[in-house]
Amino acid sequence: MTKAQKQPDVRGSLPLTAAVFSILLALAGSEKHGYAIMKEVSLPEGGGVAMGPGTLYGSLDRMLGSGLVEETGTTDDERRRYYRVTGFGRKVLAAEVARLRAALATARHKGVLEGAHS
Amino acid sequence: MKGLSPLLFSFYKRALLLYPARLRQEYGQQILQTFRDARDDRKNGTAGFWLEMYKDLLKSSCMEQMHMLREHVMKQPMFFYALTLGLILTLLGGTATLTLQQMLRREANQPQAEMANFYASEIASGVAPDESIPPGYVDLERNLEPFVVFYNEQGKPEASTGYIDQSIPILPPGVVDYIRSHGSDTFTWEPRTAVRIAVVAQRVTGSHAGIVLAGRSLRLVQRDENILYRIAFFGWLILVVLLIAGAALLNRAQRMRPVVT
Repeated sequence: MTKAQKQPDVRGSLPLTAAVFSILLALAGSEKHGYAIMKEVSLPEGGGVAMGPGTLYGSLDRMLGSGLVEETGTTDDERRRYYRVTGFGRKVLAAEVARLRAALATARHKGVLEGAHS
Repeated sequence: MKGLSPLLFSFYKRALLLYPARLRQEYGQQILQTFRDARDDRKNGTAGFWLEMYKDLLKSSCMEQMHMLREHVMKQPMFFYALTLGLILTLLGGTATLTLQQMLRREANQPQAEMANFYASEIASGVAPDESIPPGYVDLERNLEPFVVFYNEQGKPEASTGYIDQSIPILPPGVVDYIRSHGSDTFTWEPRTAVRIAVVAQRVTGSHAGIVLAGRSLRLVQRDENILYRIAFFGWLILVVLLIAGAALLNRAQRMRPVVT
């Protein structure tokens, strides 16, 4: 008898929390260290999520545990580690974007966005 | 804010203790480095920056502790179930003990309630207290028998079968006033240290106005209460040991169960 290899479930990981979504989005372009992630997620185009170091590393810890991100192994300082999105993380991010896109289409169809950019 | 910066940073560093140990060991240095990067980027930090950082620290440390607790419970669910069961059984046992204790205490008021009622009616009908109350001698320190005392309106004892050091015990003035205004009272009286008496007192009106007090030593009830407390405590102790042992065994059995593909 062998232990069954658990396959990560993309749909089971959805919906993502705002913090996880923003971190994945920040790491989708390139590997980053903690502060670079924190800075990018706070920008409107990065999700506009204000998070401090505690929230960031708590989220990263759980994301590492669920295989969404991984450490690259490169450090420019003992205390500054870099993270990148995994293949599974990229699939989850894509699925979340698709889910949001569908919701956005519905919102647009219902006229929710009318006047939102004024 | 610049002058306070090292102090606030040092405090922040110490406050990392609020996070679960594993997270602190794993990410403590990175959290501090990210913090330094953010602080340097904002030219030593404004008041808003520090506020934001401390707010995040408090919020995220609470969240992480909750996550850690949840993780712990998920890893060892048996202990969680045992703890819940233990709490429920402790509550039920505590309620049962308290109910039994109350029943014991209420039983201690018999036959004083009937006695007080009987003598109060008799004296109110015009019988003199020293005629109504039969002669007798109950030593409150030694005897367990019930006794009766009649106090006049001023609280002065006029007839009694109960004595302490060969004299009739005097009711505190506050108690006399209370019974005078409320008509009756049931209480535990300690006329001397370690001498506790279950008392039922009733006001008497008419030509012999005053208070009839019937009492009985609580020694037997206290002995029964002590037995009850001991049974409850040892029962609870055995329950806790059994629950811990049961949870440990089930937890072990669960961990040893082979994984079937």
